[in-house]
Amino acid sequence: MKITRRLLGKAALGLAGAALLMQVPAMAQDKPAPFDKPGAVKIALVRYLSTGDFFQAYLSGVEAQAKALGVDLRVLDSRQDAALQADMVDQAIALGVQGIIIQHGLTESMKEAAQRAVDAGIKVVAFDVNVENPKIPQIEQSDRDLARLALEQAVKDNGESWKAGYVYVAGIAPLDRRNETWVDFKKKYAGINEAAMFGTLDNPIANSVANQARSVLSANPDIKVMFAPYDEFAKGVKIAVDEAGFNKDIKIYSADISTSDIAAMREPDSAWAATAATNPAVVGQVSVRALAQLLAGEDPGHNVIVPPTLITQKDLIDKDIKNMEDLSAKLPQFAHADVAMRAWMPNPNAK
Amino acid sequence: MSSGWVRMAAPRDHAIRYGFIVLLFGLIGYFAIAADGFVSPQSAVFIFQSVAITGVLALGVTATLVVGGFDLSIGSVATSAMMAAAYVMVVLEQNAVVAVVACLLIGAVVGLINGWLIVYMRVPDLLATLGMMFLLVGLQRIPTEGRSIATGMTMPDGSVANGTFGAAFLALGRHRFDFFVPNLIPVSVVVLLVLAVLIWFFLEYTRFGRMMYAVGSNERAAELAGAPVKAYKIWAYVISGVFASIGGILLAARLGRGDIASGNNLLLDAVAAALIGYAVLGAAKPNAFGTAVGAVFVGVLLQGLTMMNAPYYTQDFIKGVVLVVALVFTFALSGRGQR
Repeated sequence: MKITRRLLGKAALGLAGAALLMQVPAMAQDKPAPFDKPGAVKIALVRYLSTGDFFQAYLSGVEAQAKALGVDLRVLDSRQDAALQADMVDQAIALGVQGIIIQHGLTESMKEAAQRAVDAGIKVVAFDVNVENPKIPQIEQSDRDLARLALEQAVKDNGESWKAGYVYVAGIAPLDRRNETWVDFKKKYAGINEAAMFGTLDNPIANSVANQARSVLSANPDIKVMFAPYDEFAKGVKIAVDEAGFNKDIKIYSADISTSDIAAMREPDSAWAATAATNPAVVGQVSVRALAQLLAGEDPGHNVIVPPTLITQKDLIDKDIKNMEDLSAKLPQFAHADVAMRAWMPNPNAK
Repeated sequence: MSSGWVRMAAPRDHAIRYGFIVLLFGLIGYFAIAADGFVSPQSAVFIFQSVAITGVLALGVTATLVVGGFDLSIGSVATSAMMAAAYVMVVLEQNAVVAVVACLLIGAVVGLINGWLIVYMRVPDLLATLGMMFLLVGLQRIPTEGRSIATGMTMPDGSVANGTFGAAFLALGRHRFDFFVPNLIPVSVVVLLVLAVLIWFFLEYTRFGRMMYAVGSNERAAELAGAPVKAYKIWAYVISGVFASIGGILLAARLGRGDIASGNNLLLDAVAAALIGYAVLGAAKPNAFGTAVGAVFVGVLLQGLTMMNAPYYTQDFIKGVVLVVALVFTFALSGRGQR
């Protein structure tokens, strides 16, 4: 035993020493070309949507993973101008980047621009916009899973039969996908009765939705569950529920999360029971990693799906989670997704 | 003019004068029958509460309409004030009074700059306030690098903001006064009503207000009569800015956080209310009473339609129809638009 332990100790020491000496060159050698030379790879992020907490966090994820990989990142932001976004792809091609991430946009305007980039020998990935190109992996947060997790929790908390209010605006791709799940759920559980459907994207969204929800609650005071699969909707519903004094009678289930959502869920007697969310920063990291895989000659697969996490009010209170950083620290499944994660890639979340 | 023409015109005059009020009561009657629970003190309060913020903004923009101007920046002043209130309390950890004062100051300063641009720099009102709108939409995001402000948020430098919205500040959005029924009337509704009465009295019955109308109807005549036209115009924008910042304070108190928003919808709804106000009582000019009625009109419509499960786009559609009808009342029927 003694010998073994000493041997083990020696071996460990030796390994540690070797690792210390070898660390820098070893890491560089481990990475496949073109990532073996830091700063040699230039990529561009071409954005359609950029204002708001979600997009800010997505960008921070992209930046963190690009930095960890030693990649030179250019950010081109079209600010919801579809034509400009397509031009920006050409601009990125002219800049001589090796890879492009297309973040949101319209299929019609981006399909050809993406094809031009592929024709120019540039590797492309797309997040939340379908560019209808078999050579371009699609990064997605699974909206159907988001809605499913939240609704399963609603059934768990409230049984299989309740009167529901539903917040939905048609024509917004992620909301449409979440809506599919809601429609399926209503079919599956005959006891779920949708008493009212409302919703608006007039900004400030929470304020406009609060006004609508007030009207809905006075028309249907017997609603037990509000399904608001977008956090701005949920905030608005919560304001209305509080103003009507129904916060102990109604439960709100939503999707997405932010620091202010966490505060709202943690309030005493908050009606906001649970939300399902994908960490936008993680989605940003996954986007860069999938692109890096392509650049290194690996195949990330055509659909790269980032799984969501269910976050309940109980989790937040029991684990004393107050903001997004706490959430990442205390719910590890939220902080990191092992999607498109190869052994040679540095994890930007590791401290 | 024959006496026959006068007799013919009388019903027409009545239609112009009371048509819109009759329409409002007709609408209330319809919803009372069609939507369960529409008629109740709570429901009436909801309506006022839902229009309180846009109503306050609309009253402010009325002041600029009176002097023949326009203020496109009110929506972004309101959201900037909301962000400022959140920043002062959450990041700088100050109390509610400081937050309110900071917001009002922002409103006044923006109003002064707008007025200065328009009066002294001779920038047309629409363009000056459009520029200010963009400026503010960008400015409100700079301190937090585009993030919304909430307690516990991480600042760009990595520190955590620990301030909270003061209870006194939140009360502005959440406290309710007893009025026959306990806990009935929210602060925002009281603010709307008080401001409406104030600005109505100010515009209709004070020398200052009547001079503002004079400036609006004929700037040159007012100037030749010795009125300090420039001062009146600047004051109109200051009033508009301050009212918009009050709207922003109410918004922040209701939401309980600093929310990134351009405020364009607030602007549009407020302008719609003020324009609908032209038609009320056949005024055919901007007036505070009309603006308040216009805001309530829109509120009644949206409340009733939502209770009947009408989707949001039909609500926008109907809002547009009402506005067009109101403008027809104002310009065609009253015959004042044919100068």
